[in-house]
Amino acid sequence: MAEATKKDMPTETAENMVTLTINGRETTVPKGTTVLQAAKELGVHIPTFCWHPKLKPVGACRMCYVEVEKMPKLQVSCALEVMDGMVVHTDSDTVKQGRKAIIEFILLNHPLDCPTCDKGGECDLQNLTFAHGVDDSRFEFQKYRFVDEGMTTTFDDRRIGPEIILNRNRCILCYKCVRANKEAFGEYDLGVYERGSIAEINAAPGEQVDNPFSGNLVEICPVGALTNSDWRYKIRVWLTSTTPSICNYTSSGINTLFFKENHHNKIYRVTSRPSDDIDDGWLPDVTRYGYQIVNSPDRLTTPLVKKEGKQVEATWEEALEIIGKRFGEIKERLGGVCVGALVSPGLDNASLHAASRLMRVGFKSNNIDFRGDYRYLPESSESPFMRLCSRPFKIADIDDSDVIVTFGSDLIREHANEYLRIRKAFNFGNARIFAVNPYQTKSADVSSLELVYLPGTEESVVNGICLAAIEDNLVDAKRGEKFKLKTPTKSSAEAAKVSGVDRESLRTVAEALAEGKKITFFTGEIITRSRQRDLIASALINLHRLFGLKGRAQMSALARYANSKGAEKLGLLPNPRTVVVDKLRGLWGEYPESPARNTDAMMALIKKEEIKGFLILGSNPVMLYPDREFVKEGIEKLDFLVVADLFETETTELADVVLPLASWAEYEGYYVNLEGRTQKAARAVKPIGQAKPGYEIASLIGEALDPEMFQNEQQIHSEVRQLLELDSVIAYPDDFLEVKADTDGSQGDYNLPLYIIDDWHHSGHLTEKAPSLANFASEPYIEIPPQLASELKIAHGDSVRVESEVGKVILPARISEHTQNNVVLVPRNFSSSNVTSLLMRKKRVDRVKISKVDE
Amino acid sequence: MNEVLKAVGNIFLKMPKGFVVTFKHLFKKPITLDYPRKKNPMTARYRGKHYLERYDDGTERCVCCGLCAAACPADAIYMEPEENEKGERRAKMYEINLLRCIFCGFCEEACPEEAIFLGQVYEFSEDNRNSFIVGKDDMLVPHPRKDNPLKRIYRRVRRVYGVTDKSK
Repeated sequence: MAEATKKDMPTETAENMVTLTINGRETTVPKGTTVLQAAKELGVHIPTFCWHPKLKPVGACRMCYVEVEKMPKLQVSCALEVMDGMVVHTDSDTVKQGRKAIIEFILLNHPLDCPTCDKGGECDLQNLTFAHGVDDSRFEFQKYRFVDEGMTTTFDDRRIGPEIILNRNRCILCYKCVRANKEAFGEYDLGVYERGSIAEINAAPGEQVDNPFSGNLVEICPVGALTNSDWRYKIRVWLTSTTPSICNYTSSGINTLFFKENHHNKIYRVTSRPSDDIDDGWLPDVTRYGYQIVNSPDRLTTPLVKKEGKQVEATWEEALEIIGKRFGEIKERLGGVCVGALVSPGLDNASLHAASRLMRVGFKSNNIDFRGDYRYLPESSESPFMRLCSRPFKIADIDDSDVIVTFGSDLIREHANEYLRIRKAFNFGNARIFAVNPYQTKSADVSSLELVYLPGTEESVVNGICLAAIEDNLVDAKRGEKFKLKTPTKSSAEAAKVSGVDRESLRTVAEALAEGKKITFFTGEIITRSRQRDLIASALINLHRLFGLKGRAQMSALARYANSKGAEKLGLLPNPRTVVVDKLRGLWGEYPESPARNTDAMMALIKKEEIKGFLILGSNPVMLYPDREFVKEGIEKLDFLVVADLFETETTELADVVLPLASWAEYEGYYVNLEGRTQKAARAVKPIGQAKPGYEIASLIGEALDPEMFQNEQQIHSEVRQLLELDSVIAYPDDFLEVKADTDGSQGDYNLPLYIIDDWHHSGHLTEKAPSLANFASEPYIEIPPQLASELKIAHGDSVRVESEVGKVILPARISEHTQNNVVLVPRNFSSSNVTSLLMRKKRVDRVKISKVDE
Repeated sequence: MNEVLKAVGNIFLKMPKGFVVTFKHLFKKPITLDYPRKKNPMTARYRGKHYLERYDDGTERCVCCGLCAAACPADAIYMEPEENEKGERRAKMYEINLLRCIFCGFCEEACPEEAIFLGQVYEFSEDNRNSFIVGKDDMLVPHPRKDNPLKRIYRRVRRVYGVTDKSK
């Protein structure tokens, strides 16, 4: 609401300001503010049920009654706009009486089963009844009860989704859940049915409430009508204490709050910690339920050491002794360059930096990378793609952008929080939103125009937009001439033909970009995962230059993981920028001159047996690197592999020493979100078993190699602080860049593009261990567009054989609701899917053929 | 001589006078109790060991809401809820530490389901501290409520005639 009115609000000039009196205090607020907000700004508390700061007001509960002089009746302050000279009383006897009556009225049919209700102790209705209500009811009749057929319980609890449980008797019909679902998330799986006193909130007929933001509905419910099985009958809220933290699955650094219990050393749930700059108080389900992996009984608790081909439990001393000995041998015999490391971008700054120091000072090797699931990474840190990545980006700026372009990103799956921002701009602002993707996505439902290009033709789309602008004189002609020299595509019609997007659409985008005053333009994972990311980035940099977007646009490639940005800034790349290298040399007094290898190069060298020892912190390349055979063969050839992770994974199976890693909830860590904002995740619980945080593991390994290598937490943090202070933005080049179109060769029979995605409710390789998220999806599947499915006679749930040039897997089919064009999607989050064995790292677009398995 | 007479006088005159009280009590009902064969009846509002009530159909009344634990000034109650077969809330674990408990009866007052009561049992003696932590099984009243009358008579006979109970 606050945002909604602020949007339409005129600027704060004198004639747009309104003066009113609330409880005898005068205040001046902009026109269009509601009385409730004005009172809030004054610090006057008005009780509410149905009002939510991020939703439009409805005035359903009428709890926010105020008395306005010269108005005959009590007024609903949440929906009443301020007027000049208004005199408002929020605490008069009439108001008190009104509130009492409303509470009595709401309680008419409310079951008063607080002892069994999970909301008990944090319930708005409980609190407000205590504060404003009466202690007895005059209602002498039977309370109305919703009763389901064949219901066996005394309560009316029914599951309306994999996680959500609805109790219609407790509902006070504030409509907050339905409004949030519709306005904020764009979902229509929950609605109000029937009328009058028997009106009920329920799932849409035949549907389940399983949208990726459904957890928020439970959080905003003022009573216990919506609860989730995550928190159901676990613990009373007053027995828990809270710890502020941030999300480890998304790159936005969504602010969260852990509810934990110290005696059990256990986290019980996660709720939002609203921050208007980042998350607006909405959490995607992966953030809300993903914490469950911390409490998982499958966690690694002790180090494992391989003895006679079998991994057996060992103590830290034993494990470190072996690591020190074996790494020491390799270092002495072949030099430190024969050791490599791969770290997870989900680790905190200190862990990343400690790993970097271990490699660069301990081994004098530059073989370190944090991108374990991307192929053909850019060699240089100043490549066009890295330049694009380094551009500043502000999440809050999406709100008032008038043109928003999302390029190659299935937003909900990878940047759920930004999707909600864009939806807000779509609902409350007047932004023109363009979704440019190789397949139709659900996220595109907020776009004014969806451009679907043929897979692997990203640069043609961008060039097409530029050429359309030049041809229609939307940009400076001189720049247009210069641009034309650098691109092989001659006209927008040609680009349209290559990319499969019609020219009119390209022109519409060009027009919007030329006119837009505040533009947000970002690329997502489809671009980042592409082998030709540099080419696409060059095209985008050209577009930036051609349209003169400097100063009126934020254009960036968004980071994917919780601390990807931090890893970039701390120089976890094989070739960090010169500023970072100089700083590191200053801090350590030395910096290795050895050749730098990124993930692909390291894997290739492992296969050639040039890298003998390898350290993996929190990463799972066997499952996530887009060429499983390549990685697996390589890793099996290693002399010595150390893996630290939360769980036993495909990678830990191959390791000589497995170390238990502490999760982000178990130590204090700092993470840099995609805006470059450093945020703290405090320690909520003690590490499970003997697990240790990443920085400690790196420091201990360093110490095992050379006792002088050890660094304590303070030393690491002070170095990290100095590194983060460096300016990370890399300037764009002064001229247009060369963009050569590139395509894979023909792939014969294999002609169906395959995209590896994240499931709606999963992220990375760990979330399948969270029971609540597994309730949404626990099995791998292949998403097939409906017309292709009908062509091949594949029904929902059928087994489908997916073949590529290198591999074959069998997956159950799921008919896509959103994708119409010819691509298939497979989630990468389930270890049983083996989907990466279909991929080849050299391909730009992976192509497969599918057929139904006859039983 | 005088002193001898005095002593004899004391024996025959003063001692019986003193023994009058003793002899009087010989014919009075004793105020001590033949514990543990006989037990003092407690008043109806005595606050002894806790017990947990059931509904008539045998369902536990306790829903594990945690209000008794919240009200407990000695922090003697610990509980963990769970979901029963019907989807209702009930206690998976309900423990009272009788060594911590001060028998104030706040739990009884706080209980919104009329599930916990302080009973008449006051005999606590164990040889280790852990045995003072009583669980749900120790506290729930048996269902069906009434014992078999024959069994009760048998137990009583054994108690009166001092036969040791081997089953315990």
